[in-house]
Amino acid sequence: MTLALATRHTAWLTYRSVLGRLRQPAALTPSFVFPLFFAALGSASFSRIADRPDFQEIASSFLNYAVAGAVAQGVLFASTSAAGDLATDIEQGFFERLLASPVSRTSILLGRLGSAMVVAVVQVTVFMIIFMAFGARIESGPIGFIGLVGSGAFLSLAIGGLMSGMAIKSGSPEVVQGSFPLVFALMFLSSAFFPRQYMTGWYRTVADWNPLSHIVEGMQGFMNQPLAADMFWRAWLIPLGLAVVSIAFGLRSLSKRLAAL
Amino acid sequence: MSTPPIVAEGLVRHFGSGDKVVKAVDGVDLTVNNGEIFGFLGPNGAGKSTTVRVLTTLLKPTAGRATVAGYDVATQADMVRRSIGVALQDAAIDPLMTGRELLALQSVLYGLPKARATSRGDELLERVGLIAAADRRVGTYSGGMRRRLDLALSLVHEPSVLFLDEPTTGLDPMSRLTLWEEVRRLNREGTTVLLTTQYLEEADQLADRVAIIDHGHIVRQGVPRDLKAAVGAPTLLIDVAETQASAAREVLVRFGDLRPTSEGTLGVGLREGASAVAAVIRALDDATIHVRHLELNEPSLDDVFAEATGHRLEGAEAPKQ
Repeated sequence: MTLALATRHTAWLTYRSVLGRLRQPAALTPSFVFPLFFAALGSASFSRIADRPDFQEIASSFLNYAVAGAVAQGVLFASTSAAGDLATDIEQGFFERLLASPVSRTSILLGRLGSAMVVAVVQVTVFMIIFMAFGARIESGPIGFIGLVGSGAFLSLAIGGLMSGMAIKSGSPEVVQGSFPLVFALMFLSSAFFPRQYMTGWYRTVADWNPLSHIVEGMQGFMNQPLAADMFWRAWLIPLGLAVVSIAFGLRSLSKRLAAL
Repeated sequence: MSTPPIVAEGLVRHFGSGDKVVKAVDGVDLTVNNGEIFGFLGPNGAGKSTTVRVLTTLLKPTAGRATVAGYDVATQADMVRRSIGVALQDAAIDPLMTGRELLALQSVLYGLPKARATSRGDELLERVGLIAAADRRVGTYSGGMRRRLDLALSLVHEPSVLFLDEPTTGLDPMSRLTLWEEVRRLNREGTTVLLTTQYLEEADQLADRVAIIDHGHIVRQGVPRDLKAAVGAPTLLIDVAETQASAAREVLVRFGDLRPTSEGTLGVGLREGASAVAAVIRALDDATIHVRHLELNEPSLDDVFAEATGHRLEGAEAPKQ
């Protein structure tokens, strides 16, 4: 198997997965609607914290603060759904159809992750357009926008790799969907919806250790501060590092599943 | 002399371990010759699909050896996959994609260049009669259309060996006939075909040779005509009231060996052939046995199966065309 052919396989399987997403609007819609709904809810419930004098160190407005949380939430939704589709392929037999062909085995996983990444890029772009229509501003300029898009894409790989690994291990879409509350908890126990600086006790400790807090704060940096290298460290390198680990887990799960045939 | 396209020697596939081991395939030997249609016949759970999954590299053999298109299924799996076409009963077709998109994807998986992929896709859609539905999502296809698309997908790379796993199960008679005709056409063009089926008529109509499998073992293998001839005598089937079944059995056994039949029917292999029917009727009449229904059957593959296993392929008869 040449690298060129494996890349072609990955590209086509990505295309297939994206088509599948687009043709199931009911599955795609929540990852666009819920984050915006939560952002609106957050703005209504917590926006008064923006009146605190020290809030300006965090964000220029609550809307600007809420962007990163919405992006992270949307990406988590979409990546989990993509992994659910992989489990559906296993359950319904399309996975077996692929295995009967000379497809690059790695491409089966990477194709799904590719589609999660494409959806993440579109999602961040759509969210930015909507938030900016309501008055949000990217303080770090066009490069900050690229920073946000990249961060969303890398986060989709990190979560997608983990969830796809679970999908391959279990072969059950229900197991993947069932694990979503854990992802949701990861998000609520981070600074996605509320600044870490205002948390106290165990909640603060968990949020301090939660890598999602640092990724989200990196994204918030792009939204609220002039461009700085530190933002890329947090918003790009942390999800990239996690992606390496989670994709390795996904590939290992695939390899074990194939070995058990 | 070239190697036969499919050879299995002592092929074994077990599932589970210890006390819970299931011997799905338990020492299968078979050879499929170049240009043959080979029928693999057996009831559900007999080991047909497991054998096919081993031969198509979807399962690893527990023991034994098999080569397909000259390549070892265990050690040269990738070469096997490139050489064969596979249409599996359980392998779903993505309902969200169109027929044309799926053929394009399949072409990419087999490494066809883009231009060739497009023309090959059109050729195959034309061939299986799906050109008008090519741009519709597969989710809107009927069962017969899906099977035809499945066949087209398995032919993208012009394989020399084709595996069809129960290709007509669940199809209406017209779709079944269409698929049979396509299989014959492919075979005339030189493709070697191994098809599994639980339909006796399908095996009889299509296969040059058949193997009958039961509980993971091949119990008979050969040309259908020869297998049927080996069973010998035609089978006389009669229906009598349950209260007279025992007496009827005593009469029948005077004319030949009793044969396994479906419940409520008695069967005897007539030693003297069809000419003994009149004598059997007279004997039953003399014993005041009321015959509700009588039927004389020349030996069928079902008789071959019954003779080899002691039971019949229940519900295996395909609907009459």
